[in-house]
Amino acid sequence: MSIFHNRYQWLLDAAYVWRQEMKQAFRDEGVLIFFIVVPLLYPLLYSWVYNNETIHEVPVVVIDQSHSQLSRQFIRMCDASPDVRVAYYAEDLDDAQSLVSRQVVKGIYLIPEDFATRLNRMEQGTISVYCDMALMMTYKAVFQTAMAVSQQMGAEIQTKLSGNYTAREDVITTQPLAYEDVPIFNPQGGYGTSVLPAVLILILQQTLVLGIGLAAGTARERNRYGDLVPIHKCYNSVGRIVLGKSLCYLMIYAVMGAYLTVAVPHLFHFLQLASGRALLVMMIPYLLACVFFGMTVSCLVRYRENVMLLMVFVSLPLLFLTGVSWPQSNIPAAWQGISWLFPSTFGARAYIRLNSMGATLNDVLPELRYLWIQAAAYLGAACLVYGHQLRQSHRHAHERLDYLRKKRLLRQRLGTKKDRKR
Amino acid sequence: MKYLWQLSSLVKRECKILYKNPIYGFCMVLFPLFTLLFFTSLLHEGVPEDMPVGIVDLDNTSTSRGLVRRLDAFQNSEVVARYSSVAEARRAIQENRIYAFLYIPKGTTEQLLSARRPKVSYYYSLTSLTGGSMVMKDLKTIATLGSAGVGQATMRAKGFTPGQIQAFLQPIRIDLHQIANPWSNYNIYLSAVFVPGIMMLFMFLISAYSLGMELKFDRGKEWIAMADGNAVVALLGKFLPQAVVFLALIFSYEYYIYEVLEFPRLGSVWMIVLLAVLQVFASIGFGIFAFGLMPSLRMSMSVCSLWAMLGFSLAGSAYPVMGMDESIQALSWLFPLRHYYMLYQTTVFNGYPLIDAWFHLVGLVAFTLLPWFVLRKIKNAMLTYVYIP
Repeated sequence: MSIFHNRYQWLLDAAYVWRQEMKQAFRDEGVLIFFIVVPLLYPLLYSWVYNNETIHEVPVVVIDQSHSQLSRQFIRMCDASPDVRVAYYAEDLDDAQSLVSRQVVKGIYLIPEDFATRLNRMEQGTISVYCDMALMMTYKAVFQTAMAVSQQMGAEIQTKLSGNYTAREDVITTQPLAYEDVPIFNPQGGYGTSVLPAVLILILQQTLVLGIGLAAGTARERNRYGDLVPIHKCYNSVGRIVLGKSLCYLMIYAVMGAYLTVAVPHLFHFLQLASGRALLVMMIPYLLACVFFGMTVSCLVRYRENVMLLMVFVSLPLLFLTGVSWPQSNIPAAWQGISWLFPSTFGARAYIRLNSMGATLNDVLPELRYLWIQAAAYLGAACLVYGHQLRQSHRHAHERLDYLRKKRLLRQRLGTKKDRKR
Repeated sequence: MKYLWQLSSLVKRECKILYKNPIYGFCMVLFPLFTLLFFTSLLHEGVPEDMPVGIVDLDNTSTSRGLVRRLDAFQNSEVVARYSSVAEARRAIQENRIYAFLYIPKGTTEQLLSARRPKVSYYYSLTSLTGGSMVMKDLKTIATLGSAGVGQATMRAKGFTPGQIQAFLQPIRIDLHQIANPWSNYNIYLSAVFVPGIMMLFMFLISAYSLGMELKFDRGKEWIAMADGNAVVALLGKFLPQAVVFLALIFSYEYYIYEVLEFPRLGSVWMIVLLAVLQVFASIGFGIFAFGLMPSLRMSMSVCSLWAMLGFSLAGSAYPVMGMDESIQALSWLFPLRHYYMLYQTTVFNGYPLIDAWFHLVGLVAFTLLPWFVLRKIKNAMLTYVYIP
């Protein structure tokens, strides 16, 4: 009977810790910002920033020195393409360059004087393309449009020269081997579609760690001796503290996680291939790993502001380590190793593959395994550091008690001396 | 003269604070240098090389194997696996083993030789844009070369000269000039924005932090008293030593990327110096302003970090600002990193005259002057506010 009673009491204590933590989280505005406001608003803002996905009608300037029917055809076709807009005509390169310098255009098409002459003589004609390399996306638009138009015009010239009889023959002359490119999983090549899933997952981890760190900092500063764990009968064992606290964070982030992985993609019509069950199976270990990771980190910082100084700037490197911007296969081994310390690496990879690439749970098994390993390892770490904190606050309490006892003893002795003198 | 004495004693006091609290050393030197090392070593390849791609070759002839061999020889792609069906290859993409695959259906060579125009397909995943587009480029070249190879063989057999063959196969040639970054090197492109961006994040945070610490440890009154109640002198004395440290940090970053890693630049050294000075003072100005608006350590630091993180998106270096909604385009003016990036790419990267980026110069100067609006509020906060944890 007493075992059951003890268990029950243990649970009650954990529930008390949970309640205290919940109260504190909703009372502290710093924690509130990171637990509620940022996860609610940031995804909306990012989705808004990237909602156009791709760029169209990049302005270019044309220097047409050829002034021929062929050169005008090239310009017309470029202007008609979806990605490029011929915004200006210039007389020479200096003129055109000053337009690039003023950020009015992003590239220059130079059609030399002998362009049409050479083509009519059955020689190779050249068109020079100058790109502003400050932006990769505009560079690609300017270059690829010129490339596509030149190939199409080239095909027309080829058919004229070959003297075929049928349309089918024309096609075979220009392209004996047909090819088809099929972009899958992000067919429009959208920037938001590729980056946002990783950003959403990263926001979950970063806000959790920052929020937990701030909450722990506040707890320390409110405490008389700067201890994380208060002296209270309910805070008497590591298990109760870790269970109570993690339950509180997990409850808040169950809601936030659902909002970020289900509601936000739904609102902004992002790709959503993962089933609810798959998301649940992936998010549980991810959130657990994040919570325990956050609790471990929170014990390492002395003042509450320090967690901000430590965790905010790593967000950007962590985003790169997930492999959305720079391919995962090309991340140097040392950084790969470091990336294994953070739940976001595997969380983002698993989420992208489930949600944007329609993978099954079986396909992301390695990532899920790593997430569970991380959850277990950080649970152990959290228990260890909280055990240390608990011992420390007990030691402080004992020291204080000893001090008070000695003081009382001294006072008693002094008091008795005074009495004798009297 | 009086101001100078006050200033020197304030500077001495600040130096002592910077020296004593290790947080400053971490945030002003170690973390930014770590970031510099991180980005430059992560992207040291410049262009992603040897990305894993797969092959579904159902034809299996010497021609199809030739295509595969040529693909393998390209810089960006490496053929790592062969699959027996498209479904299997797609699963390999979903399991993250390859980024793309080339599908050569059965009978391709036969149809090619009998001029029946077979079709090869390549499938690539664009969930990673950089990787996907690089692999796509290789695969596209292969297919074009495959076509050209057939035409070349036919024409050679008919007795055309190489010049004639080339002029026929590619009548219009594109002569590409990639100004200032001829290798389309991603290290040059990304490190030059993200590393200064992280440094600006730390400048925001440390400015707000150092002001908040005065309040927290109740040294605010002493600090204002040392400047004889003059908030301008007090702020100057406090932030001059920090600015010097940050400038040294930025110059070591510039030295590392331009002298050690040899990033190209067309602008002069003086532009770099001007940009560094503007960067430091604008960021510190923003940090002080944020603290002045909300004289509480946690609120001002939260605002600074959220603002700085948004700045990375709104700087428009990865996804251009011109592609965003108009309201967001206007919003981007409120981010110092946006102005820094525009000034950098116009004057340093491309080497164009400063006058063409005057708007962004004015923007950074405006950020530098922002603390003017909150001078009284900061002084008031230091003299009357009490820190509540």
